[in-house]
Amino acid sequence: MHIPFCAHKCHYCDFYSLVDPRDRQGSFVDRLGRELHALAPWGRGASLATIFVGGGTPSLLPPFLWDRLLGVLHEAFDLTSLEEFSVECNPESVSPELFSTLVRGGVTRVSMGAQSFNPSHLKTLERRHSPGNAGRALAMARDAGIPRQSIDLIFGIPGQTLDDWKHDLDDALALGTEHLSCYNLTYEPGTAMTARLKRGEFTPADEDVEVEMFRITLSAARGAGLERYEVSNFAKPGAQCRHNLVYWRGGNWLAAGPSASGHINGHRWKNTPRLDDYLSIDRDGFAPVSEHETPDPGRALTERLMTGLRLSEGLERAWVVAQATALHAGAASGLARAIERQTALGFLETDPARLCLTDAGFLVGDSVILELAGALDL
Amino acid sequence: MPDQTPHIRNFSIIAHIDHGKSTLADRLLQATNAVSAREARDQILDSMDLERERGITIKASAVTVMHRHKLGAKADDLEAEYEAPVDESGKHASKKGAPEEHGDLFMLNFIDTPGHVDFNYEVSRALKACEGAILVVDSTQGVQAQTLVNAYLAVNENLTIIPVINKIDLPGARPIDVAMEIEQTLGFRAEDCLLVSAKSGLGIPELLASICEKLPAPRAPVSDQLRALIFDAVYDDYRGVITYVRVFDGSLKLGDKIRMMGTGRTFQVTDLGKMTPKPVRVPSLGPGETGYVVAAIRTLKDVRIGDTVTLEHNPATEALPGYQPPRQMVFCDFYPATSDGGDAPDFEELREAVEKLSLNDSSFTFAPVHSEALGFGFRCGFLGLLHMDIIQERLEREGGVEIVQTAPTVSYHVLVRGTDTVVSPSGQTLKPVDPATGNATDIPPGHTLVDVHNPAELPNPSTIAQIREPICRLEVMVPQEYIGDIMKLCLDRRGTYKNQSMVSATRQLLTFEIPLAEIIYDFFDKMKGMTSGYGTMDYEVTGYRSDNLAKVDILINGDPVEALALICHREKSEQRGRALISRLKEQIPRHQFEIPLQAAIGGKVVARETIKAFRKNVIAKCYGGDVSRKRKLLDKQKEGKKRMKSVGSVTIPQEAFMAVLDQGD
Ligand SMILES: Nc1nc2c(ncn2[C@@H]2O[C@H](COP(=O)(O)OP(=O)(O)OP(=O)(O)O)[C@@H](O)[C@H]2O)c(=O)[nH]1
Ligand code: SF4
Ligand SMILES: [Mg+2]
Repeated sequence: MHIPFCAHKCHYCDFYSLVDPRDRQGSFVDRLGRELHALAPWGRGASLATIFVGGGTPSLLPPFLWDRLLGVLHEAFDLTSLEEFSVECNPESVSPELFSTLVRGGVTRVSMGAQSFNPSHLKTLERRHSPGNAGRALAMARDAGIPRQSIDLIFGIPGQTLDDWKHDLDDALALGTEHLSCYNLTYEPGTAMTARLKRGEFTPADEDVEVEMFRITLSAARGAGLERYEVSNFAKPGAQCRHNLVYWRGGNWLAAGPSASGHINGHRWKNTPRLDDYLSIDRDGFAPVSEHETPDPGRALTERLMTGLRLSEGLERAWVVAQATALHAGAASGLARAIERQTALGFLETDPARLCLTDAGFLVGDSVILELAGALDL
Repeated sequence: MPDQTPHIRNFSIIAHIDHGKSTLADRLLQATNAVSAREARDQILDSMDLERERGITIKASAVTVMHRHKLGAKADDLEAEYEAPVDESGKHASKKGAPEEHGDLFMLNFIDTPGHVDFNYEVSRALKACEGAILVVDSTQGVQAQTLVNAYLAVNENLTIIPVINKIDLPGARPIDVAMEIEQTLGFRAEDCLLVSAKSGLGIPELLASICEKLPAPRAPVSDQLRALIFDAVYDDYRGVITYVRVFDGSLKLGDKIRMMGTGRTFQVTDLGKMTPKPVRVPSLGPGETGYVVAAIRTLKDVRIGDTVTLEHNPATEALPGYQPPRQMVFCDFYPATSDGGDAPDFEELREAVEKLSLNDSSFTFAPVHSEALGFGFRCGFLGLLHMDIIQERLEREGGVEIVQTAPTVSYHVLVRGTDTVVSPSGQTLKPVDPATGNATDIPPGHTLVDVHNPAELPNPSTIAQIREPICRLEVMVPQEYIGDIMKLCLDRRGTYKNQSMVSATRQLLTFEIPLAEIIYDFFDKMKGMTSGYGTMDYEVTGYRSDNLAKVDILINGDPVEALALICHREKSEQRGRALISRLKEQIPRHQFEIPLQAAIGGKVVARETIKAFRKNVIAKCYGGDVSRKRKLLDKQKEGKKRMKSVGSVTIPQEAFMAVLDQGD
């Protein structure tokens, strides 16, 4: 579920979100409610397994609107066997009242956008909270009775030293978090950060430093009992984000809100990322969709390689081979050669059952995926 | 056609590039009412798209117009004959009284020629069909390198030349100085130069009068038996080959059965006519006339330009002097861009495009090649670099194929010990040098001289006695103050200074002897740059000479890449090798592993570089299950990779194959 409102646009951000000058949050929640009702029959009577509310800044919605939203959710869907319900929060926009509303609605997990604990780096990113906020917000959530917590951090910020990053990791881990997401800053087209980079306002982080940061992250997380389960995600045993695993394992999920994307058995679609359209176009409750891809075996395998290899568990070798064989004559042999080569370079594990990246492989994961997907010769 | 027998004048318009030949042709067409105001457009004879876009003439065009002129008339009487060209607003001067009433009737056959050095053979062909030439000189530029070359060609053909100083409407025109230059360099009297503006039409009546008065009539026929010179041929999708002929003796009629004296082939004439510039059918072509012939000739290979046409039932005994076939001076490979490792369909597309284009332009050669890195393609030969450029562009544009081109090289004559058949490392038989080219003399007993126009095909070095390279006579015309720079440039490029002569008080003509290989790459640009654009040059291959030449091999990740190999002087080989691999270092993206680049001569590494492996290549974010967006990114990368070529496990962008062009100076 995508909540597209933010109090301020962070400079690196390319998510669909806006600072709303008009007060449209109420009509948005009502519209979202209609979409949820429209989507409900797709649940086929079974209970939802996981819910993730992202954004934007979901915590920006005031408690009474959350109340309304959670009400609709319970009305429309069977949530009896819900295993995980995550909500993204920004440290500066939370309150005890908000958390108790969330708890009452069944929320079990918050993901806190801390990004850094260093005021000058927060400034570079144009984040509006102060370093202490994140810890306080998490304590508040725990006190309100939300059992599971995650912290988001960003590294590779211009000007950030290795020591700075170590401190950020220590600060986050000291909060006793069970889950940590560490994203390497990327310069996405159209963002303020990219424009500043082009204007030469700062020097981007050095590649060698970023590599070192990747390494430090891994050892610090492991030191605190968190294992990497995805390129940028670390968790204590059993504390992985199950919702995200659904994405990465090629499962099925529904999507609601502008720019949200869904997947059901090879159909992928994305709601139009435009709040005006979302509010004004209403086809029996369904949102306007701007992209829809229908099932295609070649694409499906490419996507499984792409998301599956990002996971530490990787993919089942036999399954991958069978899929490639079914594609066309050269696909399996091409893939086998590519796998052999990537293994020789030390980027893939030799595990006979699973196809997965080594620690060195994770650093160059995109190139490994490119080699493997390219070898399918679609 | 009028019933009165016209006087005939045959002439070519020749000049340095851009001095206004085609524009002058426009004025002649207009002044003789061959083109109406409505049909008029700039450089109307430049009919190819590429000619119009680049604003240059690539192919010569022959046209016929009719004109009235009273022989012996003085210039003052000419006003009435001339019709002013269209003015800006598109208005046309009023039609004058019927011109047939006064003056003698003239049939003017003229050929607009290209000015660029690569297409010089077009000029030579055209001149053989004429008795006269209009030598156009730009009044702001003065005499330039190709002015001289083309004027000499005309002089050698014994043509009567009318020097014309053009563009006198321009504020920077220096007609008097330029007339002096013409006198100084070519020996025409300054006062004999006509002053015209091909743009405004000024001086055109005087030029027409001069053409009628001064140019000789065609020589009288020496027999009744038909002899017509084929001076050009073009391919037309609908009618097959259209040949352009100049009749010297006898006459040619529609329906005649003709025989080509050189090839012995016979054809039936199905259409006969003149370009006016629209094609207009005529019943016959008589002595002195020029026109086109369509005779169910299917491909350009079936005609030889320079051949003599005669009649099957009443043949002439001796052919007219013909032409030297154009000689390809520059060679490079063309490969289809999209394939990796020689995908059959892409190659077939390229083959089709090449074959089709060769129907239109018989002056480039092609033969299939295979390269480890680039797959299947063609080794092509061109008249020069502009010609290469144009062929590549036409293949891409008209044939719809995308091309990867290797760096151009010249053709070498390699003297090999022994008299057995010589084979290249890839097992290809190397052709002995054709003795007809005149450069194949001086083969010591027990040796074989073979033609090598691809460094990869150089035979085993231990069998090579000599490598001979084409040597040119280079003429550079420059303002005084740049002489030092040009001298230095030429000497650096293994040139030897031969001669210097004065064009005017401020400009000199320098002559050098220089290897062709040294000037085909970037010489022209360098020369232009050094002389602030004022220098012009012309070259002609005069022979072959041996020098201490070596092959530089390029190894990428330990694998030799033939498409990057080059032949150069041993003294420069290290410098060239180093320049080449540092260019490659910039062009080859980082890989998952380290890539050593090496330049080697005879197995000895003379330069090396390393492309470091990238250390990090992972986008750390994968948000909200928007898998499609990430996959599209991946597809783009895959596409980009497909467009590269691979050598072993290294992928190389196609542009990198042009890195060889870097001279390292
Ligand atoms: N002002 C002025 N410009 C002229 C005159 N004659 C030609 N030009 C311009 O000079 C340029 C070259 O003219 P062209 O007629 O294409 O020259 P060309 O000699 O046929 O060129 P190539 O065929 O490429 O060798 C064009 O931009 C013409 O418009 C003239 O008398 N006056
Ligand atoms: S809070 Fe999140 S969604 Fe909003 S602008 Fe910042 S990064 Fe983007
Ligand atoms: Mg022209």
